[in-house]
Amino acid sequence: MTYRALIGSVIVAMSLAAASVAAQVSARVPQRGTPEQLKQLSSKPTPKLADGRTDFNGTWDHLGGIEFVRPQTKADGSICLIGCTPPSRAGGPPPAPFPPVQTDFPKYKPEFVAKVKDLTEHQVKYDTVLQCQPPGVPRIGPPSKIVQNAREVVFLYDDVNGSFFRIIPTDGRPRRKDVPASYLGDAVGRIEGDTLVVETTSFNDETWLTDNGAFHTKDLKVTERFRRRGDTIEYSAIVQDPSVLAEPWSPKGQMMWITDVEIEEPARCEDRDLEHIVDGSHHDNPR
Amino acid sequence: MRCRVTGFVAVAAVLLVVSTALAHHSVSGQFDVNKPLTLKGVISKIDWINPHVYVHLDVKEKDGSTTTWALSTLPTAMMRRAGLTRETLAGKPGEEVTIDAVPARDGSKNLGWINRITYADGHSFAPTGQ
Repeated sequence: MTYRALIGSVIVAMSLAAASVAAQVSARVPQRGTPEQLKQLSSKPTPKLADGRTDFNGTWDHLGGIEFVRPQTKADGSICLIGCTPPSRAGGPPPAPFPPVQTDFPKYKPEFVAKVKDLTEHQVKYDTVLQCQPPGVPRIGPPSKIVQNAREVVFLYDDVNGSFFRIIPTDGRPRRKDVPASYLGDAVGRIEGDTLVVETTSFNDETWLTDNGAFHTKDLKVTERFRRRGDTIEYSAIVQDPSVLAEPWSPKGQMMWITDVEIEEPARCEDRDLEHIVDGSHHDNPR
Repeated sequence: MRCRVTGFVAVAAVLLVVSTALAHHSVSGQFDVNKPLTLKGVISKIDWINPHVYVHLDVKEKDGSTTTWALSTLPTAMMRRAGLTRETLAGKPGEEVTIDAVPARDGSKNLGWINRITYADGHSFAPTGQ
């Protein structure tokens, strides 16, 4: 069989297989966070607390970075999670890329570019997030739950690496000076109208800003902004680490929306895979 | 091989799709996506852990002994997104299931990645499509 004939056979086989499966797909897990849903949720009134400040309390859905998982359920109960039948054939929205295409990356000073390259080429060895360590900020992404009172805001995270929390004073008290460096740092916050601004310092240097060797130093400062609009929050962050970054970096913003699905204690994180990886290949860690 | 492992050449299109998906997710760095195998047995335990859930499958050998495979799959959050729980993944007690998998590349015995679990009533769970 010629190469062209082989490719033709593969394409035909793929088309037949896709069409066959599409015909059987009878149900689809409802999509969350669609543009239509977010538009409707953000048009609601923005709630206020009794003291007039914007209310950020709630359990917040943001898909945890796994929007590319679009489960499909067939009539017989069969479930497909990733790489299912092209929805365009089954009558649905186009699939998200698997994994999400990462296009945003911090710009490093020239003398650190080689280090970033080396780290990303040896990610399996050096990326502590693969070893069930806390992911750091902003890599951990937005919180899953926000608890707010007159003195502080508490972030709770339901993360693949475990349960994490951050306590963010918002009453103007001075930043503590005796806090040891940590994975998630020491935060202070303030509420500016409909936006909660969180400034975090005192990080250790054991985490990365994102995948691909994006290391940082203990000089890292992260400013996160949570703008509440109706039942949504627009999350954005600015990362500053002038000793290694050529300029401040902003990871891709995320949308959060209120949900009545309560967070759960995540399953324990126990890596059993790293010792079996033979080529040090890259591992995406969507959040 | 002594165990009831049947290697097979899958439909080219299916392999192409799966290999492409796995190649992006480091699974191909741990498992040989070009050596698909089929296991029949009983799920004896589910380790509901992150970053990858593990399914333990007891496979009866021809000599009557039992070999237990440890088979890796997706994280719990992705399972939850599809409404899957530890219980639904485990199937009924004693139920014989068929698991299409790929083996470890480093030579570890009885270690693999799940492509599909097919339960006794015919329904299946395919973490990475097909």
